[in-house]
Amino acid sequence: MIASRLDPTVIKSGDHVIIRMPSSNAKIISLKPDNTVSLGKFGTFKASELIGKTFGHTYEIEKGGSIVPHTLAGFDNADITEANNKEILDDPKAQKLTFQEIEQLKTMSLSGDMSAQEIIASLTENNESFDKKTEFSKSKYILRKQKKFMKSFVPLETSVYNLCNFFFEFNPGKIRGIRPDTLSQILSLANVYSNARVLAVDDGQGMIIGSLLTRISKGGQVIGIHDGDVSNYDAIRYMNFPAEDIKDHRLYTLPWSKLYHTMEPFTEELTEDSSIDDRSGRERRLRGHTRLSETLDTVRRGEFDALVISTNYNSKSVIERLAPYLGGSRMLVVYDQSKDALLETFAWLRQSPDFLNVRLTESWLREYQVLPSRTHPMMNTSGGGGFIVSAIHLASTATATATSSS
Amino acid sequence: MSAVTMLHQYKTTIEDGDLVVVYINPESMLTITMKKGSVLNNKFGSFPHDKMIGLKYGSMATSLNGRGFVYLLHPTPELWTQVVPHRTQILYLPDISFISLYLDLKPGKIVIESGTGSGSFSHSIARSIAPTGHLYTFEYHELRAETARKEFIDHNLTEIVTIEHRDVLANGFGKVGIADAVFLDLPAPWDAVASAKEALRRDTIGRVCSFSPCIEQVQRTALALDEHGFADIRMYECLVRDYEVRTLPLPDIEEAIGGQKVNFKLNKNDRKKRKLESGAASLAGQSGTSSEVMLSKPADQARGHTSYLTFAILAPEVTSE
Repeated sequence: MIASRLDPTVIKSGDHVIIRMPSSNAKIISLKPDNTVSLGKFGTFKASELIGKTFGHTYEIEKGGSIVPHTLAGFDNADITEANNKEILDDPKAQKLTFQEIEQLKTMSLSGDMSAQEIIASLTENNESFDKKTEFSKSKYILRKQKKFMKSFVPLETSVYNLCNFFFEFNPGKIRGIRPDTLSQILSLANVYSNARVLAVDDGQGMIIGSLLTRISKGGQVIGIHDGDVSNYDAIRYMNFPAEDIKDHRLYTLPWSKLYHTMEPFTEELTEDSSIDDRSGRERRLRGHTRLSETLDTVRRGEFDALVISTNYNSKSVIERLAPYLGGSRMLVVYDQSKDALLETFAWLRQSPDFLNVRLTESWLREYQVLPSRTHPMMNTSGGGGFIVSAIHLASTATATATSSS
Repeated sequence: MSAVTMLHQYKTTIEDGDLVVVYINPESMLTITMKKGSVLNNKFGSFPHDKMIGLKYGSMATSLNGRGFVYLLHPTPELWTQVVPHRTQILYLPDISFISLYLDLKPGKIVIESGTGSGSFSHSIARSIAPTGHLYTFEYHELRAETARKEFIDHNLTEIVTIEHRDVLANGFGKVGIADAVFLDLPAPWDAVASAKEALRRDTIGRVCSFSPCIEQVQRTALALDEHGFADIRMYECLVRDYEVRTLPLPDIEEAIGGQKVNFKLNKNDRKKRKLESGAASLAGQSGTSSEVMLSKPADQARGHTSYLTFAILAPEVTSE
C-alpha cells in the first residue's frame, strides 16, 4: 500500500522557531512578518524572509537583511601531518593585526561590506604561527573564528527533541531539568499511541504534556491536573499546534482543587436589561461550566491508558490520588530531576500489591565529535538528565482475586 | 474480531484469540495466545486458558491447585522487546526511545528501517506512527524476514508495516522520495547512504539514523553521509542505569564507642520486615536505637555498550522562486 505523506513542514507566520547561531547560542522567536530579527554580532534579518521556507538549511544573512541558503563546507580533509606545536609559543604578538584593525573588520562585516570568509582569511594571513599549526589545529582555528564572525543561522523546528534540548540548555529550571533522552524514555514507557487516553501531572510547564500531545492524534486525549486555577503549560505554545485542535479535542485541564468537585446545574440567567458584557460573560462562564463537566466526566470514567507524573509535590501522594483512575496492565511513569525525591515512592510502589515491575532508572547520554581522525567524546556534557520510576499498574480486581485465593 | 491489535489500541478484557504476556517475574515473561481448552503449564502450576479468558488485563491468574499465580499483561512494544525471540542482537528501550524522538516519529510519519532483525524496533516504530503513518522494513535474511512477517500478521500490524525480503546493501530500498526518516542497522551502513538519500523526501527535512556498535563503522558512515550532502552529523551513546533502594541503619560512631553492637547485615526475615516497613517509613525514620535511612545504589550489573547512534539531516531541495 502507498501511505499518504504528511504535509511538508513549512515555516508559517506566527510560528515559533528556534534560531541557532554560529556560536551555538540559540533563541526562540515568534515570526511576525513585519519584524526584524536581531542576532547581535551575527546580524539582523527580516522575519518575512523565513516565512514559507522549510527547515534543514543554514542561512547566510546578506546586506539589507535578506537571507540565502548556504551550503555548509562539510568535513575538512585535514589529515595527520608532520607539523606539531613544538615551535609554537603562546604569543599574543603572533597576530599582526591590531585590536583596532580587527574591530574595524567586525564593523565592516556587520554592515555587510565584508564577508566572514574575508575576515577569517585576513586573520589567518596575519597570524604568524598559523602556518606552523598542524592541519587539525588550523581547522580548529578556522572553526573558532567562524563561530565568531559568520553571519549565518540555522532555523530549527520546535519539535519535541529540539524544544526540550533548547530548554535543557538555556532554561532547565522551566522544564524541571528533563533531558531529551529521559523525555524520550517516558514516551516509550508510557506506551503513548495515537488514541491513548493519558492522565498527566506536569509541573514542568507542559514540556511532558506537550510531548504526549505530539504522539496522540484524533481520538487521543491528555488530561492535565494542575496547581492553581489555570494551568501553566507554557512549553506547549512553542510547539505550533493548530490551536483549536489541541484546546478543543485533545488537551483537557483540571485544577487539583476541582478533582472531587460536584457539578451543580448552570443556573445563571440573563435579565432583560443585561448588557452585552453580561451576555458574553455568561457565555464564557457557561463554556467553562460545560468544559469542567466534560473534563470531570472523562476523569471519572477512569481506565486511563497511562499515568505520567512530574510534580513538585510528593509523588507518592499524587499516585495515591490518581492511580485509581489508571487502567489494568497500564503504565505509571514518574519523573523527577532528583533521585532522592523518588526513593520513598519507589520503595512504596515495590511493596504495593497494585504495581508490578517497579524500576528506578537514570538515563546516561554522551555526545561524540565525529571528524576524520578526530573522533572523541565531547569535552563538556550535562551532569544529569533526571530520573524515572516506572511500574505496571494491575487491574483493580487483581488484589481481590489474590485475597480470595489465599 | 478477537485478534488483539497490540500497538495502537489497548483492550480491557482478555478474549479468546488474544496475545497475552504472562508475567512471572521481571526476568521471566512469555507470550501465549488464548485458546479455549488450552492449558498453560509451568513450575507454578496449571493455568487453564478458560479461566483467563474474561479476566481484565493486569489481573492475577491463580493455578488450579490455588498455590501458584502469574500476572496477565497486555502486550506493548516495550514488553515485546523483553519477550521477543532473539534472531539477532536487538534494540532496547534507551536506544529505541532516543532514536524515535530524534527522528521525530509521530502519527503519520513514513519510516524506512533496515534490517528488520528480530522486529523489536519495528513494533515500537509502528506504535508511534500509527494509524496514518507507514513503516517499510527490509531484511536480507530470508528466514528472519519470514518470521517477522508472520509476527506482523499475528500482531495485526499489516496496515502499518510492510516487510520486504531484500538486500538493501546490494539493491537499495527501491523507494524514491517518500520517507520522513530512515533507520539503518546494517553491517556496512555507508553502502546504504546513497539509497537512503534517494528514499528520503525532498520537499521537507529528512532525518537518518545509523545504529552501529563499532566506532570504525561510525567514521565510515559519517564520511559517506558528508559526501552525500547530509548535514548536522551528530553521534550519541545512550544507556540506562537501574537503581536499588534499601532501608538500612546508619548509626553514629558514638554507638560503637559506647559499646553498642549494631547489626548492619540483615537476616532474611528482618530484611522482609524492613522492606515492608520501608513502605511506610519516612526518609529517615527512627527504628530501635539506630536511625535508619533509605539508601540507593546502582544495580551491580549494567549494560555498558549497545551501539553508537549517528544522526544526520537532509535539507529539502531549494526550489527556485
